[in-house]
Amino acid sequence: MTTDLPLPRVGPAQVAAPKPMRLVLNWGRRYSLWVFNFGLACCAIEFIAASMARHDFIRLGVIPFAPGPRQADLMVVSGTVTDKMAPAIRRLYDQMPEPKYVISFGACSNSGGPYWDSYCVTKGVDQLIPVDVYVPGCPPRPEALLQGILTLQDRIASERPSHASLREKLGPYAGRRASAAEVSRPLVAPPEAGT
Amino acid sequence: MTDQDKKGFVPGLLKGMGTTARAMTRHAHTQEYPDVSPQLPPRSRGVIALEESNCTSCMLCARECPDWCIYIDSHKETVPPTTEGGRERKENVLDRFAIDFSLCMYCGICIEVCPFDALFWSPEFEYAETDIRDLLHEKDRLGQWMATVPAPPALDQGAPVDQPEPTESAPSEPQPAQAPDEDPAP
Repeated sequence: MTTDLPLPRVGPAQVAAPKPMRLVLNWGRRYSLWVFNFGLACCAIEFIAASMARHDFIRLGVIPFAPGPRQADLMVVSGTVTDKMAPAIRRLYDQMPEPKYVISFGACSNSGGPYWDSYCVTKGVDQLIPVDVYVPGCPPRPEALLQGILTLQDRIASERPSHASLREKLGPYAGRRASAAEVSRPLVAPPEAGT
Repeated sequence: MTDQDKKGFVPGLLKGMGTTARAMTRHAHTQEYPDVSPQLPPRSRGVIALEESNCTSCMLCARECPDWCIYIDSHKETVPPTTEGGRERKENVLDRFAIDFSLCMYCGICIEVCPFDALFWSPEFEYAETDIRDLLHEKDRLGQWMATVPAPPALDQGAPVDQPEPTESAPSEPQPAQAPDEDPAP
């Protein structure tokens, strides 16, 4: 038994908010990015390195302690996205509350990378979800992730999250209501009876 | 290890507190990245730079690239003879040289295979983009990275330095042997 709970989304007052208010809101969003690491391959190690004491992206306000996608603002897809994994990524992205941001970290999640010719690798995570920042590298240095985060923060600082701008950014996925059943159903459908 | 376990709770606690107290007096080893540029190791593989004048569009790099992420377009131009009664020459002119850094796996095979020293490693890594199309660096952008390429490492002690200037017809060594003494720091 599942219950449809509305996902938190950007309210209509966002557009009407005066500029100082928007500045404060964007400032808050910018420096409290609860991050959700979708680590799929070796790039995830570099993400972990960036979260540890030497690089320490908590300095930049990126907090890697989100209990799950429902509490996260930023998803870092690091690693090879396979077609098998694609529904899970889509689903966890749907569970994140708006406004949400995605960093594609590494060649594999940017465009498939060395596996662009493979039959089972998704050619870039941007085929599944809208990506804000692409960090190149194979794998990128931890500092490259920090620079990607800074790029994203600059982007957040100047954004105006309204329904129209979100629709422009998210494309067909804007305002999409993922029903509770949709995000909690089993990933693999059972085979048809009799086949 | 087992001897320490037998010592009990309080000595272990005191030892742990001692370690904490010692760590408290030391500086954190966090690298303040945006304010302090990182100390990259030599030969860091950040981005590939192109020296366009060296490129003969021989396509070796594009062929050897495991990802096929190098795109080269070129055409041939006829050069009029330089001397009276000479023969016309054909030369390759590079139209497009692009590396797709969203595909590149940074193996460096293109740099190793280049017979004319047109490609170089640069340690720069700060080129994250908000649009994936900007990760395709065309030849002007690849040329801009040339300014960040570190000097080649110094020769070993006692290495022979070729004294005579090689003639134009037989360039035996493409690299000039003037070894800079400074460390190739990025």
